[in-house]
Amino acid sequence: MLGRVLAIAGNAFREAVRDRVLYNLVFFVLLLTGAAIFIGELSGGQERKIIVDFGLSAMLLFGVFIAIFVGIGLVYKEIERRTVYAIFSKPVGRGEFVVGKYLGLCLTLLVNVLVMGAGVSLALVYVSRGLDPLVWIIWPAIFLIYFELVILTAVALLFSSFSSPALSALLTFFVFIIGHFSSDLKGLATSLGSAVARMFFNAIYYLLPNLSNYSFVTPAAHGHVPGVPHFAASLLYALLYVAVVLAATILIFRRRNFK
Amino acid sequence: MISNKRHGANWIPASVLMIGAVGYVLVARLLDSHRPKIQTEIQQESLYLSGNALKRMSLGFNGLVADWYWMRALQYVGGKILSAQGSIQLDELSQLDMKLLAPMLDVATTLDPEFMEPYLYAAVVLPAIDESQAIRITRKGIAANPSQWRLYQHLGYIYWQRGNYASAGEAYSEGAKIAGAPAWMQAMKARMAAEGGSRDLAREIYGRMYEEAGDPKVKDMARVRLLQLQSMDQREVIRKLLEIYKTKVGRCPGSWQEMAPLLRAARLPIADGGPIDPSGTPYKLATNTCDVDLAPTSTIPQR
Repeated sequence: MLGRVLAIAGNAFREAVRDRVLYNLVFFVLLLTGAAIFIGELSGGQERKIIVDFGLSAMLLFGVFIAIFVGIGLVYKEIERRTVYAIFSKPVGRGEFVVGKYLGLCLTLLVNVLVMGAGVSLALVYVSRGLDPLVWIIWPAIFLIYFELVILTAVALLFSSFSSPALSALLTFFVFIIGHFSSDLKGLATSLGSAVARMFFNAIYYLLPNLSNYSFVTPAAHGHVPGVPHFAASLLYALLYVAVVLAATILIFRRRNFK
Repeated sequence: MISNKRHGANWIPASVLMIGAVGYVLVARLLDSHRPKIQTEIQQESLYLSGNALKRMSLGFNGLVADWYWMRALQYVGGKILSAQGSIQLDELSQLDMKLLAPMLDVATTLDPEFMEPYLYAAVVLPAIDESQAIRITRKGIAANPSQWRLYQHLGYIYWQRGNYASAGEAYSEGAKIAGAPAWMQAMKARMAAEGGSRDLAREIYGRMYEEAGDPKVKDMARVRLLQLQSMDQREVIRKLLEIYKTKVGRCPGSWQEMAPLLRAARLPIADGGPIDPSGTPYKLATNTCDVDLAPTSTIPQR
């Protein structure tokens, strides 16, 4: 079973590479190089902070677009091209297919994030004219960004399992936005007088991913590292949330008729 | 035949592309040159969103948005200085009507409360424009970063500039209690009480600012203020020498060359027989009042 999942994952990764998804790295490098050269003129001696803010924010934004647009196409394209029929004629379970596709995109995102992280580190070396402590300090924040992307990919896959690509992209983007407002939702729930409204906002809070847990770009730019408990809890939350969303995706996908 | 037809069809869109591109660039330039100047009231319109609203809306990109507001504030100040077309010091911008500076610095520090440079700007640039906002933003920074002694240094500087030496001394003293604060912070309280308006204290304050400022413009402002203090000392010495010359000869010298031996004896920097200020520009001798003054071409500020 694991072999089949890994084969599908490897195939999904190769497909993403063939689809030139990693070309975004070229844009990222160009952006970062431009920023490293020109920001010195504009930032009043704050190049290091701005390179980190800019680099990691761009990494998140590029990653979100890849997670959404590639994520929703993972399954949809197979159905559209009817290749899914050929896959399911072989001894491949629908769950294995979904998990394999998901892991393939996660691998693509990991490569993306690692190369971008290396790019930001190099830009820091350039603006600091040497090895800067921030070069290492930013990496936990980079992994938190990756965890956030992993969650969003799962959400994109879930929506694409029952909806059209355009609607899936829109819904996933909404989840990204609301996910960053989660703490406000919780605050709203506790401040409301009505028990029903409180329950409703609490339900939304727990239903949607709390992506603000993964926002560590600004503290990282000031040389802060997330504590081990925060990092570990964020990883655990991501793993559990992804497991739940993938399970829901598999359940929906199993109900679809491909015969 | 088919291939020729295709080529024939291709040159038309290619020509449209080239001519169109040149055309729209020319039209864009025409529009730019005829665009009516934006009224000052519109340019100075208040920011639509508060820092807290922006923080919520920034979706985790709050650091980047703070950087954006910070760079906007720098451009705003730089643009105003350039449009004034004169040599204006960063701490003397009151006549430039910079209503948006305080809101921009406020937004930047609300989005990223640990961002120290906007606080430095709030302490150095803002007091001349809006003292109460400068104090409020600095105090907001202290509340958000209680372990940053530099913010107390900024607060002390604001009060010192306004001549409120007691509050300045208190601010330095509070900052001195923070772990890692340098020993001179504690000494500042006593110095503020004893010699609040003295040149020596000013020299120390600007010297510390020069050493610690990351922003090249703030650093340059501190450097110019240090040169100004040095020039004040030099002018004081030259005035004494003019008095000596007047007593000896019975009149004011007609040129610096006449009192060159005195200037040399005082070890003042001299070029072409006359004393020069720390920027390298010769001092002006006012023969009618028998006084020394900065030359109009000097980069040392008068005030």
